[in-house]
Amino acid sequence: MKKVSYFRAASVFLFSVALLIGCSSGNSPTSSGNSAAPSTSTAQETPSTKKDELVVAVNENFITMDPQNTGDALSSGVQTSMYEGLMIYDKDLKLIPGLATEYSANPEATEYTFKLRQNVKFHDGPPFNAEAVKINFDRMSNQENNLRAYRNYKYIKSTEVVDEYTVKVTLNQPFSAMINKFTTGIISPQALEKYGKDIAKNPVGTGPYKFVEWVQGDHLTVELNPDHWNKGAAKVAKITYKPVPENGSRVAMLKTGEADVIYPLPEQQVETLSGAEGVKVERTPSTITRYVSINMVKKPFDDPRVRQAINYAVDKDAFIKVVKAGYGAKLESLMSPTIAHYAKQGEYEYNVEKAKQLLKEAGYENGFSTEIWGNTNSDTMKGMQFIQQQLQKVGITVDVKSMEEATLSDEIYNIKSPEEAKMQMWYVSWSSADPDNAMRSLFSSENFPPAGANTAFYKNDLVDKSIKEATQSSDQAKQKELYGIVQENVFKEAPWIFLAVDEILYGKRSNVDGVYITPSGGIYVREAEIK
Amino acid sequence: MFRYIVKRLIGIIPIIFIVSLLIFFFIHLVPGDPVRLAAGKEATLEEITRVRQELGLDKPLAVQYLNYMKNLFTGNLGHSLKTGLPISDMFENRYEISLKLTFMSLGWALVLGLVIGTISAVFRNKWPDFLGMLTAISGISLPGFWLGLILIQVFSVQLGWFPTGGTDSWKSYVLPSITLGAGIMSMLARFTRSSLLETLKEDFIRTGRAKGLKESVVVRKHALKNSMFPVVTIAGLQFGFLLGGSVVVETVFSIPGMGRLLIDSIAFRDYPVVQAVILLFSLEFILVNLLVDILYKALNPKIRFDS
Repeated sequence: MKKVSYFRAASVFLFSVALLIGCSSGNSPTSSGNSAAPSTSTAQETPSTKKDELVVAVNENFITMDPQNTGDALSSGVQTSMYEGLMIYDKDLKLIPGLATEYSANPEATEYTFKLRQNVKFHDGPPFNAEAVKINFDRMSNQENNLRAYRNYKYIKSTEVVDEYTVKVTLNQPFSAMINKFTTGIISPQALEKYGKDIAKNPVGTGPYKFVEWVQGDHLTVELNPDHWNKGAAKVAKITYKPVPENGSRVAMLKTGEADVIYPLPEQQVETLSGAEGVKVERTPSTITRYVSINMVKKPFDDPRVRQAINYAVDKDAFIKVVKAGYGAKLESLMSPTIAHYAKQGEYEYNVEKAKQLLKEAGYENGFSTEIWGNTNSDTMKGMQFIQQQLQKVGITVDVKSMEEATLSDEIYNIKSPEEAKMQMWYVSWSSADPDNAMRSLFSSENFPPAGANTAFYKNDLVDKSIKEATQSSDQAKQKELYGIVQENVFKEAPWIFLAVDEILYGKRSNVDGVYITPSGGIYVREAEIK
Repeated sequence: MFRYIVKRLIGIIPIIFIVSLLIFFFIHLVPGDPVRLAAGKEATLEEITRVRQELGLDKPLAVQYLNYMKNLFTGNLGHSLKTGLPISDMFENRYEISLKLTFMSLGWALVLGLVIGTISAVFRNKWPDFLGMLTAISGISLPGFWLGLILIQVFSVQLGWFPTGGTDSWKSYVLPSITLGAGIMSMLARFTRSSLLETLKEDFIRTGRAKGLKESVVVRKHALKNSMFPVVTIAGLQFGFLLGGSVVVETVFSIPGMGRLLIDSIAFRDYPVVQAVILLFSLEFILVNLLVDILYKALNPKIRFDS
């Protein structure tokens, strides 16, 4: 029986090696305190019982919990439960007072003075005051800290503490859009000192919810802040955010009650949910514009008639119906109607004859061949094929090229000069919360790749001038006029195929109240309640 | 045997060295710029340059490789470009989860695979054989993605027995390990059956039967053990694959395992994470291979390692 014992020894060995691997990875010295066994919630097992915990299932992982170094909508969506800025966006993307109760700006938009809210405490104890604001603003405006917020806070020359509850911010150049940037979350200075860069996984702010734990890739939990200045607005004791990448699984979680809110809800799944019991489907217009960027430097797209013709040749209603399953609105300017200073421009009505006529005038009676680029997302492919089929009707042959995201970004942005750009048409989307971001990044001639995202290489001196002037005035009426000029000109010259404004679709249990997905994809829980 | 194992373990070092070199240069050959992705669409040239410097990606590749190896030998896997978190932090939960899932899936697949395979072989061309092989063929031909969603629909949405995903309790692992193990179970059943059928034709089996041993003893004691070579090989390979995590199952059941980490990191060109994950996978495969070789020896003591 010697053989048998060998076999046994081997299996014991196999098992112990596996255990060793398991243990050594579980107890690595860098492990953070709250990584132990994930909490087992009884709500998970008995979904039907009434509970005081909200589970929000989203489609991707959160990247960082440092609000001053965040680039993705989802991370900032989660952060809004814990952090507040001097200003905050409400559920309809309107700017309202947050940690500041009021502000004033000089007409040139170079000086902003904030009156701060009193009796506000950070989650770790210390009071919120002007000094805390200064420490935060200095952190962001210091280039060496290399934070994403530096992009906006580089305009700050100095932040002065006037008194305990008054702060004066001086900019080094006029920048009227700055007021939108004061929405960046304010971090507890004590926590910043304690954690340094690790603040990214140990968030401490002033918001209605306090951080509990973040198990990488699995979930992030926050609990109600009993000392919040607006106590009573949010009522749910605990919120857990979970990344659930698979659409079908997210929908199943909503059905079983494992999730109370799911976002995004894919268009194709709306149908399956609309009949389900105890579940509600919510729709709201988004800040996401969907368009095809046309390279205006390349022939034949350098002729405005060609670009207009393409716009006339695409049936936008059909696009929304076919590609967006009916959930969306026609894009009737260069940005979403949810953004301030939006000016509706009408539309390029679907008209094949007119398109053909324009092409004929431009000398392309027999059409031409071109290509359209996009990522490998199945919705993008559908969209590109739709454009291909529409343009075929006016004699334009479109080659659809889908590329993996990182490669695509490389091809589009890593170029040395506009002439070098290989892109002809790019099927893409853009989301912005303010008009400056929607216009300057995409249509200002200083933002040609690789310097920025003006991938159409759009250049119009009047537009450049208007964008600049608008940032130099805090006068809302003047801004409206200037941004109106930009929208009118861009729409007329058609550097894009103007397609659609996405709708935000999300699902929630019928007993959940006061939770909204904002037009920019933020998760608004300031009034969360379970009935 | 001890000398053999030590020799094999030492042999890992040059392999790891070569693997790390290959991964490092291959991933840098792929187009795509992590800096651009980290800085975002609106990033200015100035910002991009700054981020590139901070991440050390502006240095020549050779210098970057040397830095990487230096860190590796001091046990420092580095930081993720995407999240800025230490890679060891990102691994700790995920690895444990992938390990649990591996053992649960392989565990039931091995037991059931061996049982079905043996029964099919013993009752060759009778109804238990047909039933067994039907199960096996179904298991291997159902796509994991589909099977997973069906299991969720039936056992979570309709019956409410198991959660739709996550890693909250042992119950969370049941559906994913069924999904993951189905294909392996089928493969093991088929290999057990054919290998056992071969063995049952051997002379020593006839001898056993001739000397009046019970059929059950013949099969269990003599035939089965001698049929285990292909089964051990397959199980070992699958063990290695499973440790690498499964993107499909992790996605369907929202499990934060190693597979999804790798895919996400590749999409983002998160070089340090991709390097660390692939290095870990290579190491696992090498160790599993070593274990399989040792098991061969256990199955057949005539195998000599030192020759």
